[in-house]
Order: sequence, then C-alpha cells, then structure tokens
Amino acid sequence: MIEYMKELWPILWPTLGAIGVILAFVPILGLYMTFIERKIAAYIQDRVGPNRVGPFGLFQAIADGIKIFLKEQVIPDHVYTFLYFIAPTFSLMTAMFALVVMPFGPVPVEYESGFRYVVAPGIDIGIIMMFAISSLSAYGIILGGWASNNKYSLYGAIRSCAQFISYEIPLGLSIIGVIAATGSLNIEKIVAAQGGSLWDWNLFWQPLALLVFFTSALAETNRLPFDLPECEQELVGGFHTEYGGIKFVLFFLAEYTHIVTVSFLTVLLFFGGWHFPGLTGPVDASLGGMLLRTFVLVAKVCGVVLFIMILRWALPRFRFDQLMGLAWKGLIPLGLVNLFLVAVVLTLGLPKHLLAGTAVLLFVAAMISTYQLQRTLNQSNPRVMNGGIRGVSV
Amino acid sequence: MPKVIVNDIEVDADPKDNCILAARKAGVEIPHYCWHEALSVVASCRMCLVEVGEKKPDGTVVMGPKLVPGCQTPIKDGTVIKTDTQKVKTSQALTLELLLLNHPLDCSICDQAGECYLQDYTYKFGKAQSRLDEPKIQREDKYHIGEQIALFTDRCVMCTRCVRFTREVSGTAELQVVARGSHEEIDVFPETPCNNKLAGNVVDLCPVGALCSKDFLYKKRVWWLKSADSVCTGCSTGCSIHIDQNEDKVYRLRPRTNPLAQGHFMCDEGRFGFKYISDERRLTKPRVSESIALSKKSNGSKAGGLGDLNFSDPWSDVLEVTRTKIKEAIKTDARGFVGVLSPFMTIEEAYLLASYLKQLDSRVRLVLGPVPMVGTDDMYPKGPKGEAPEAGKVKFTIRAEKCPNRLGVEAVLRHFEGQVISVAQVAAKADATSWYFVGGYQHGWVDESIDRGVGKPSLLIVQDLFPSPLSDRADIVLPSGSFAERDGTYVNHSGLAQTANAAVRSPADTRSDGRILMELTERKGLYNAMAIRKEIGGVIRSLAALGVGDLGENGVKLNASNREPVFS
Amino acid sequence: MTTKSKREKTVKWGEEPKIGWMEAMYLPAVMSGVATAVRHALSGKPMTRQYPEVEPEIPANYRGVHRLNRDEEGRVKCVACYMCQTACPANCIEIIAAPAPKDDPHWENRDKYPATFTIDELRCIYCGMCEEACPVDAIELTSIYDLTGMTREEMIFDKEKLLSVFDKTIQSGQDPVRTNRGALGPASEEAETAKQGPPPPGRGRKG
Repeated sequence: MIEYMKELWPILWPTLGAIGVILAFVPILGLYMTFIERKIAAYIQDRVGPNRVGPFGLFQAIADGIKIFLKEQVIPDHVYTFLYFIAPTFSLMTAMFALVVMPFGPVPVEYESGFRYVVAPGIDIGIIMMFAISSLSAYGIILGGWASNNKYSLYGAIRSCAQFISYEIPLGLSIIGVIAATGSLNIEKIVAAQGGSLWDWNLFWQPLALLVFFTSALAETNRLPFDLPECEQELVGGFHTEYGGIKFVLFFLAEYTHIVTVSFLTVLLFFGGWHFPGLTGPVDASLGGMLLRTFVLVAKVCGVVLFIMILRWALPRFRFDQLMGLAWKGLIPLGLVNLFLVAVVLTLGLPKHLLAGTAVLLFVAAMISTYQLQRTLNQSNPRVMNGGIRGVSV
Repeated sequence: MPKVIVNDIEVDADPKDNCILAARKAGVEIPHYCWHEALSVVASCRMCLVEVGEKKPDGTVVMGPKLVPGCQTPIKDGTVIKTDTQKVKTSQALTLELLLLNHPLDCSICDQAGECYLQDYTYKFGKAQSRLDEPKIQREDKYHIGEQIALFTDRCVMCTRCVRFTREVSGTAELQVVARGSHEEIDVFPETPCNNKLAGNVVDLCPVGALCSKDFLYKKRVWWLKSADSVCTGCSTGCSIHIDQNEDKVYRLRPRTNPLAQGHFMCDEGRFGFKYISDERRLTKPRVSESIALSKKSNGSKAGGLGDLNFSDPWSDVLEVTRTKIKEAIKTDARGFVGVLSPFMTIEEAYLLASYLKQLDSRVRLVLGPVPMVGTDDMYPKGPKGEAPEAGKVKFTIRAEKCPNRLGVEAVLRHFEGQVISVAQVAAKADATSWYFVGGYQHGWVDESIDRGVGKPSLLIVQDLFPSPLSDRADIVLPSGSFAERDGTYVNHSGLAQTANAAVRSPADTRSDGRILMELTERKGLYNAMAIRKEIGGVIRSLAALGVGDLGENGVKLNASNREPVFS
Repeated sequence: MTTKSKREKTVKWGEEPKIGWMEAMYLPAVMSGVATAVRHALSGKPMTRQYPEVEPEIPANYRGVHRLNRDEEGRVKCVACYMCQTACPANCIEIIAAPAPKDDPHWENRDKYPATFTIDELRCIYCGMCEEACPVDAIELTSIYDLTGMTREEMIFDKEKLLSVFDKTIQSGQDPVRTNRGALGPASEEAETAKQGPPPPGRGRKG
C-alpha cells in the first residue's frame, strides 16, 4: 500500500496542491472582492467606502466574514428543508468545480512532472467541460428558488433559468471561432496559440467574438446589468430572499467565483493568457519566468474583474424583454455571422487579421439594419415594436 | 301664538318668551351672560342688546330708536328683532371689549377654556385686539368660597348668575356682590362659605372660568372629555346628566337640562358622588367557589381541560357554570329559588333576569332588593331660616329614596310576580334554598336581617359592585357594572322613564349587568337596550310606553297611558 | 372588442423614445457610462463627512430633542395648559397638571404647573407642533440631534430630564432660534414687565 502511495505521490501532490490553492483562495478572494467592490462603488458614487476596520478599512472583509459566520441560522417554516440546504452548497460546488480546468498560472502544453498551475492539466475537452459545469450553476439557483417556497424566489429562479438557457447559445457560438482557429479544445493550447506577438491575441482578430462572449458571460454570472434573478426592486432578493447567514454567503461566494471564472476565461481565450509583449513563446520552467507569467495573468484577470465591477455601477439593469431580445435578436445572429466569417477565412486561408475589420464593419452593418428595420416597423405599426411592449399609458 | 320676525325670519314664539328665546326659535343666537332661563332677569351684562321694533298691521316696520336688552324685552305679535345690523354688531364688540378689559388672558390654565362663553363670543362677536394700555387690575383668588368651589376673582364678568342662584334656587343666599364699580367682586360673608347641597351648580352657571369646581380643578382639559347622556342614580329624582369621561375615567357629571325631570340643576351629592365607580375595592373578577369548581373538574367537562387554558376570558366558563347551577337549583326546589332585583337595575336588566327565571319555572320567587332611604326629601329653595318652601314653590328636590329605579323594577315585578315582595319579607321567613342577588348599590346594602335570613343556602349567586358579607360566602360572584357603564331605562319618582347611555367601558374583568344577563339568559346577540325596551313595551302593559324604543333626550312619562296601577 | 375600444378611448398610448443607430449599438452608451463612473471614481472628492470625528453644523432651527424652559426664577415655565399634548400628532406628550403649591413662596404667583411632563422621544416625530402650540414658549426643540439610549425606558424623558436639557443647551449656547422667544405670547409680555420692575402684588397672571 505504502509502495503504491509512493509510486502515486509524484502524480498526486501537484494536483492536491492545486486543489489546496483553489480552496484556500476562493473564500478569501470572495471576501476581498466584496471589499473591493464596495470601495469601487463608493469611489464611483463620490463616497469613501468602508474605512473603519483596520487601515483603509482593510479588515472590513474579515469583520464581515466573522459576523456572517456567527449569524443565527434562520430556517423559515415553509421551505423544503433538504433542497433548501442543498441549493447554496450546490451553487458553490459547481462554481468551484468549473475551476478544475482553469489554469491560474502558466501551464506548458506538454505535461511535465511537478507543481502545475491547474488541477487537471492537458484535458482535451477543457473548455467544453468548463461550460458544461458552469451551466450547472443554474441548477443551484433554481433549487434555491424552488425550495424557498416563496413567489419572489421562484420568479427569480425562473428568470435565471430562462436567462441561462438563452445566453448559453451566444456563449457557445462565440468561442467556436476561437476553437476553430486553434484547432483544439484544450485551454493550454488555446493560450499557447496566442503566444506569438501581441497581434496574435484573439482579441485583435476576433473582436466580435470577444464582445459576444463577454456579454454572454456577464449574463451567466448574474451580474448587473443582467442581475434579474435577484433584482431587489422587483423581487425583494430574488432566489436568495429566504437565505441568510452562512447559507447566503455560499450563494454569494458562488457568484464571485463565477466572476473570477469568467474573468480568467476572457483573459485566457482573448487576451493572450499569460503572454505579454516580451514574454512570448512556450512556457519555460524557470521560477522567475513562472512567477512573472503568473503575475501577468493575474494582473490581466484583475483588470477584467475591475471592469466588471465598474460596469455594475455604470449601467442600469435590463428589462426582461430587452434581456431576451439582446440574446436572441442581437448576440445569436452576431455569433452566427462571426462563425461564418471565421470559417470563410480559415477555409480560404486568408490572413486572419482581415477578420478584425470585417467584424467591426459587420457589427455596424447589423446595427444599422436593425435600426432601419425597427424604423420601418415603427412606421407601419407603432405599437407592435419596441421590444413587444405595446404602449405605455401616459 | 305671536309671530315674531327675527332677522327677516318669521317664527311662532311663545307669549312668555323674551327676545333671546324667540330668536333661538328662529335659529339666531343672541349672546348673553347674565340671563339664564331658570333665574330672574337683571339685564346687567349688556351683551344681548338688540334692535327691536314692531311690524304694524299695515305692513310698515318701525324700529325702536335705541338698542334694548333682549333678555328683558318681552315679545308680542309683530315684534321685529334685528341682531345683524351694524349697530348691534358694534355694540356687541364694544361690550366684549369692556368685559375683557380686566379679564386676564390665562385661558391656557383656565379650566373653562373650551367651553367658555367669553372665548366663544369673543371669537364670534368680538375684536381680536385689546386697546388697553394700562395694567390690568389683579385680584386675589378666593379658595374659601366653598368646599367644592373656588373663585378666580379676576376672571369674573359680574353677571351675578351665581348670586341669583343662591338667592332664588337654593335659597341659602351665601354669595354676594361686594363693593361697587370696578371694585365689584363676588364674595361670601366671613365664616359662611357656600356649602349648600346645590352649590356645585354655580360652577355650571358661571359663563366664564371664575367659579371652578375644586374637584375637577386642573384634572383634564374639557376638549379631551367625551360626554354621554345619562341619568343620575343618586336618588329617585333621576336628574338628567352628562357623564364626561376620558379614556374610561369619569371626570365629572354635569346636569342636562330636562324640564320633565329636574330642570337645569343637580345636587352636589349626585355631582360629586360618582367616585365610587372607580373605587379600588370593587369586585373585579368573576369567581366560582372551590366546591363548584372542583365538582366541575371531576365531571371531566371541557372546563376542566380547556377551561384552565382559557385565561383570557374568565366569563365564558363562569356563566356556563352559573346557568347549570341555576337550572339544577330550580329543578330541586323551584319555590326555594329567590331572585332579588335591585332598584339600581335598569328596567331592561330586571326584565332579562325576571323573564328568564320565570320561564325556567313560574314558581321561582322574584323579590325587590332593599330600597335605601336616607332622611326625608330635601326641598329647595330654603327659607331664610333653612325651612322648606311651600308646596308649589319647590324648585329642586333631593329625594330620600336613594335609588333610581324602584318604580321601574316594581313594574317588572308586578308583571312577573303579581305583587312586590321585599327581600326582607322572604329573608324573615327563611324558607329559601337558593338566592340570586343583584346589587349595584353605591353603599353597603346587606344589613344584618338579610345576612341572617339568607344564612347558608345551597346556592348563593351575587352579582354586585362591592364585596359584602354575601359575596364573601357566595358560591358564584359576578362583578357587575356601575351606572356609568350601563345602558338602559330608569323610571324616576314621578314615573318618567329616561334612558341612560354607557359612558365608559367596564374596568378590569367586570361586565355591565346587561351584558352578564344577556349571556346568562341564553339570548342571542349582544345586549342592546333599545331592542329589549321595544320587547318590554309589548310584554308589560304598564310599561307599554317603552315600546317606542327611542325615548328621546327628555324621556317619556309612563302615567299618561298606563292601565295597570303602577304606582300604588 | 367593445372593451378594447373603450380602452382605446380612455388610455393615452405613448411611445418609447425612438433610438438612433448609435444608441441601438448600445456600446457608445456603455462606454460613456463607464467613462462617467471612472471619472467619478478618479475625482477623489468624496461628498461624505466622517461623522463622529467631523460633526455637522446644525442650523439653529433644527428640530431635535425637546427641552422645557425655565422662567427667571428657575421654575418650569410650563403652565400645564395641555396645548402641546393636544397638538401632538404622535400622542407622545403626557402631562399631569396640579395646582401650584400655594404655601411655597417660590410658587406664589403661579396657579397651575405640570406635576409630571413626559415625552416619549421614541414616539415623537419631531414635527415641532408642540412648540408652535405652546402659549408661553415653555417647550422648545433644540438642535441636539444625536439622541441615543440603551433602553426604551431611558428614552422616555420626564420633566427633570427635559429641564436638564434646557440647562445644558443654555450653558453650551445651543439656543434654538425658531420661536422668537420674547416676541410673542403673554409670556413675552411677562418677561418685559419683569425687566421694567417688580410685578404688582397679587397673582402673576397678566394679559
């Protein structure tokens, strides 16, 4: 047995290490992201933000954590107790599970022994696996909404369900272009494919895909402007209305984990991952190079996270019909056209940067045609258009 | 009927009316201070000055050259009264300004504020500002005027209503006007305070806040008080009163003008005698003796189990037990069951209990509780030596019979029992085995003869206000309501049936008699005095006049149409 | 259909504002929103005040904790007229009046005074009706705004506590200015006469 363990150990410890890193960092990250979010919100709103606990309020997150852990466990009378407890756990579980194939540092394409910055390296269906798992997070929300036995929670859950299903489609469409160009589903390979110059980053030849991907991914995280499942003004607290204390924290952590996942994905798929001008080519094993690349990756991710947070305070929430309209009338056609163009470029062997210009042009053209269509429809029957809303009583 | 034209409104007036009364019939208010319906006319306040003229038969109107006091001017057919001319208005404003010259502006601490004629008339007829530059004359308060009354001298407008009252109605003449001119003051002779039994009325008479009741002084502002029309239960005169209460606490009683009952006034005995209703010695909880409670528990009835949990309403169980016990007792010995109706009960309450007991078994005996008598009838106005007035000149009587409704209860008893037996007679025979006592007396009423006569019966139910030797050993005690909590009808000494309305809710766990009896006698619905009154009107011939239900503010005389001799 | 046509008549139908193609792209609007957010974030000029350290300047007509004023002789100025209790829309004032102690020379020229005067500061809505109603300017709302307590009981202010608020505000110069003290009501005239000379003998009521 011990012999067997000794044999297994070199394979086992890097995986366990990576799991440890993820398990340790996710809660802390979640706590501090709340702090950072509050600070950013405060600055945007010309306030100061938390500044009472510790220097610059840095311990506020810890204080919040302690407080919320010590809170009374309230179990409402009318809930389905088992599902009620399962739901937040499930939510967080799926969110963390998606991180399994997510490199949080430079990972070489070829497997090597030793610590790697990913739990499961070299998975050939990495990105499929990631989408499959993160789609499951809708399950946790629906469970929560259902188990709460509360109409607002159920509304939230149902909205969330419809939103997830709708945005899965553009999300999938948008990355097909990237995958087709790379020819692999392996995330490490996709990153490696962007390892050349700055212009090799997918961002620069598939901006349309980035736009569709980022928008859809934002919708998947239930963040503003897509936070309809939990919008306070309409649904009290949405699917987590009946949750408090540590159970609420699990939902909360799941949401922030999703943000991290989405940010990582955006960086890995479109922003060249751990590559940077001057830091190109295959991953070398030197410690300095590793750390530098890790730093680059994390810095990029932080940038995306920051952008998501700023977006929250810059944009108003979509109305539900607008939300659906955006997915089905805007993002899915765009994704399809993008896919078609990528296919054309790849098949004819044209220079791929041709796509950048065409994509932008296409985008503009699509918008113009939508606008024209809308205008003609408005003229013929003013009450049917405008997103299906027939009229507003004055 | 002379026709009088008041501000172009033609009304029929009484030949005896003065201008104020005639104008009142036309809906026109002529302000006045010194004049009062029950007192002689002095025309000293000059507030009621109006223009008076005459309409000649040929239709021309000739007005008098001067303003005349409305209180002093009689009317005749064709009298024209004008109260809305500039001349009258100027006169009213000037009169008020003069009256207010030395009147302190201490409305904020004056008990009369809110029901003060100076305030009201100044608001309606007066000026907003005073033109007086000099300091106001200030005078000493006189707390020595009487035991119950205090005089705030500088608020006085010298209407002399109080003086005339003591001279003409009470006949005791304690109050005087001393000094003259701007030094005039109301006062008493040294060592002879105004302590007659009608003294409290001067407080009501005073149109301003000069005479105040010491009992009510600073207790409550009058605008907080809500009043209910009721009847004083102090004696069989049955004065119509207002009960003024706030948050279920009675603050004062005021006489309600009723020409059929007592006139304008009431005696101090009644006026200040209401304190017992908030006495802390009152029975507050229905109580069932241990022997009954135990036997009930051993029966395994629901009271044993659920009843113990039912702490919010002690009544539901108690009344159920009472009912069973009454039925048991009547089944064993109907003749031995005696229901004692107190003369403090309203007719409705007496009827509820009497009809119920008689319907259970007609052999049940119903008797009249003790009728408290104190001294002899006290009649006013007194002569110079304190002697009673001659017959025909009596203006107010305090009766010796200190209960409100002997005649009413007797009428009920005559109907159900055929005759009026007093409780003393039955107690003397000592052949009763079970008793249902209804009390409600202001003072202790269980004398030794009753106490001994009742002895230790097999069932003793006492429904009363205060603990007594009977309630101490009663099997069932039902705490009942005082007069301020009752709805119902009283018949006074002259056969006038008046309705009293509940002013306050019953304190603690007590209930008014009507509510107790309504539930006890298995009637459906809530106690509604008017509905029962209508029923009584149909059942008891001598009380047929009650059949109208609403007896009005003044009540209904029973003697007019009765065939049975109610008052023997 | 009849209902519909009826509705057509009664309901005015409005249009959503038409959007141009730049707006239909959403992106410019998103970018300008982000720009606004970032501009504010970088401005570095917070609008907030660090409250416990930096205290706000409360205007003198602020309506805070009540006080019961004293007259020149240090007695409670209130004459227990119940005007404030009558005016109070929250029913938070409770007064029990009593005749002033006649034997006490200190109270010689007063008839009525409040034996108890209780304000439930938790129930109060600080509308200022009481001081408006007061004929002798005895009750006033001070500019003390930071009223705290650990129990409900200690938030029910009795006469002594309300008088102590007066003493405190007088000493610290936090006098409220709203009621123009000394310019209205019989109390002001009383104050003026007091300045001119001793009052004539007898009771102190003046008109």
